[in-house]
Amino acid sequence: MTTAPTLKAGPRTVRGRSGARVPGGLAAPAVAFLVVFAAYPLVYLIGLAFTQSTLAQPLQRWTGFDNFRSALESQSFTGSLWRSVLFAVLAAAVQLVLGTALALLLRARARRPGLLGTLLLLPLVTPPVMVGVAWKLLLAPVGGALNGVLHVLGLPGVNPLGGATSAFITLVVIDSWQWTPFVMLLTYAALLGVPDELREAAALDGAGRRRTARSVVLPYIEPTLLSVLLLKLVIGFKVFDIVYVVTAGGPGFSTTTSTYDIQRTALQEFDVGAAAAGTVVFSLLIGLVTAVVALRRKRHEEVAV
Amino acid sequence: MSPLSRRQLLRATTGAAALAAAGPLLTACGSAEGAALDPTGKPDLDGVTLKILANQPNALSFQYLSKPFEEATGAKLKVTPVPYDKLTAKAVLDVQSGAGQFDVFMYWYAAVGTLAQGGVIEDLTAYIKAHKDIDADDFLPSLYDTYTLYDGKRWGLPYDGDTHILFYNTEIFERHKVEPPKTWDDYNEIAAKITKDAKGTYYGTIIEAQQVPVILGCDFANRLAGYGGTFLDKGASGNPTLDTPEAIAAAQALFDAAPSALPTPLQIGFDQALPAFLDGKGAMLDFWTDFAKRAEDPKQSKVAGKWGVTTLPVGGDNAKPRTSLDAGFGLAVSKASKQKEAAAAFIKWATAAQQNLLVLGKADAGADPIRTSTLNSEEFKKASPDSYDVVRTGLAGDPLPWPTVPKAPELLQTLVDELALGLQGKQSAKEALEKTQQAWVKELKGTTG
Repeated sequence: MTTAPTLKAGPRTVRGRSGARVPGGLAAPAVAFLVVFAAYPLVYLIGLAFTQSTLAQPLQRWTGFDNFRSALESQSFTGSLWRSVLFAVLAAAVQLVLGTALALLLRARARRPGLLGTLLLLPLVTPPVMVGVAWKLLLAPVGGALNGVLHVLGLPGVNPLGGATSAFITLVVIDSWQWTPFVMLLTYAALLGVPDELREAAALDGAGRRRTARSVVLPYIEPTLLSVLLLKLVIGFKVFDIVYVVTAGGPGFSTTTSTYDIQRTALQEFDVGAAAAGTVVFSLLIGLVTAVVALRRKRHEEVAV
Repeated sequence: MSPLSRRQLLRATTGAAALAAAGPLLTACGSAEGAALDPTGKPDLDGVTLKILANQPNALSFQYLSKPFEEATGAKLKVTPVPYDKLTAKAVLDVQSGAGQFDVFMYWYAAVGTLAQGGVIEDLTAYIKAHKDIDADDFLPSLYDTYTLYDGKRWGLPYDGDTHILFYNTEIFERHKVEPPKTWDDYNEIAAKITKDAKGTYYGTIIEAQQVPVILGCDFANRLAGYGGTFLDKGASGNPTLDTPEAIAAAQALFDAAPSALPTPLQIGFDQALPAFLDGKGAMLDFWTDFAKRAEDPKQSKVAGKWGVTTLPVGGDNAKPRTSLDAGFGLAVSKASKQKEAAAAFIKWATAAQQNLLVLGKADAGADPIRTSTLNSEEFKKASPDSYDVVRTGLAGDPLPWPTVPKAPELLQTLVDELALGLQGKQSAKEALEKTQQAWVKELKGTTG
């Protein structure tokens, strides 16, 4: 009679990135981190969205899709969704164009950015609240620096934060002032990666500066530009500080973005259930918009491969 | 890809169920609640430190109270100032999160229902009954119930009895040969005339219309009271009454004033309005009574000696001036406090007549009378010679209360949102208030109000 060999159970292992087997317990800290900081908040957020919840008394009773229904029926919230999309797309587009132009200029003028580069990066390192306060003081209709200058020049005063459209555009301008250096920095780094041989080959083929930029340099840095666009879209969707400080969502609802609206619903009206439902809807919208860019980026990578 | 095994499925389901169950569990764990307040407890205050969450403009008042309180009891005060619009959220989160950092909450009275229903503040009914020396009958009748009563129980004691009065620049009025307005129509005519004649040098009025209940809400409430309207049919509770002719006329008066006001009303909050008036850039401003002390301080004001005050105008068929209880604060004991008896003892002491008089005399304490004895006192008259009569008329009368129901923060935000759209020219006064009325009815449906 033969006996089957007994197998001694070893520690549970998982296959690591390198293909080697490592004990599963080593993943525990990462799993715990994800559960505490990602899974739990997400489950809790979804729980809030489907219940009657106030700031003081969350998860009071199950309400099904009521919070979603009222969020989508709320003109304030639906309006904020479109404004958020418009803001994110407009700001990202403006900053991508300006940032790329500045990076090309910087690359053409000097190999090293030096003092000019440092100055251009200043808005990026300024705290957003300070940016908001500074612009608010600059644009104040009475006693503001801009109108002070116009007054000295004998020109009529302006009030860009007083009108619906002008206030929205002003926010895009402020955001662009702050974030264009970020785009410039990343694009400049990508430009430095363009091999000189490519430019030289283009020059030998008779391509001028513009043609080289359009047909050689831009296609080369396109993956970087798409990544920057994706990042900027996400940052644009998340805009809150300058809205809070400069316009407080006004005049009326002209500059009320979804982040501002959700904050107001949760912390001023204390309707946390509605705010959670709004957050879920807003997250889906962000996912939808950014997916378009991400798909384009992926397609580009596939073509490159 | 291998199919999901039974064991894997079981494990995943258990994990998901545990995660879902953890939500309510952790929420319940978060909320902190100390032992119940003993209404007859006699705390030893010596060596105790009481932590107070205070409204920023009133924070200095606690500094003035700190020394005498320590001398009287041996207890110290630690004050955390918070902007007025963050006060309620901060108090709720302090208790809800389980942090329990504060013993005493200074609260905006309109949030008393929210805080009481949310289990954020302690029921003081038995405590007030047990402590006759609180002398509750001396609290101004116009404030006491509105500031402290919700669901038949008392949740705090009044600390700052806020109302608005109309400040005007006497120099500008003399220059343009106009008299202080008696009606809101007069007000709008005067504002239009001054703005037109001044050609941008200064403006006929300053309208604070930032989309915040304590800012734009006050401008509307002042007119609502003047036209004889109300927010709700039972004072601070009941059914909405915002589609009445009085309420619509009040909103219309506000909208009509905006074109003559310091640009641009929807952007104007306290930070813009006060410097503008003190700099002589606006001829009229309805603001809290304690502003009189700042207006007369030459270090802060270019209009010292050149301003006056009067009661807020009336409108429509109403001929009797009526003030509105704009803002106004009480003191309450936090549910999460570990020293509730000490906190209640401080509240009793801080709201006594002697302490009210002490802070009334300080220009930067942001304090107003809360008691009949202090309102009528010689000390208050001496401290506020210019505004004494006007303040007294307002608080001793029948001021308009704002809603104090649990949904009040939401209701008031809806109101100012609709008013802001009206001021922006996107809807008429009638449309704005009819939409507000509908929203309020919907929100209050099924609540006890």
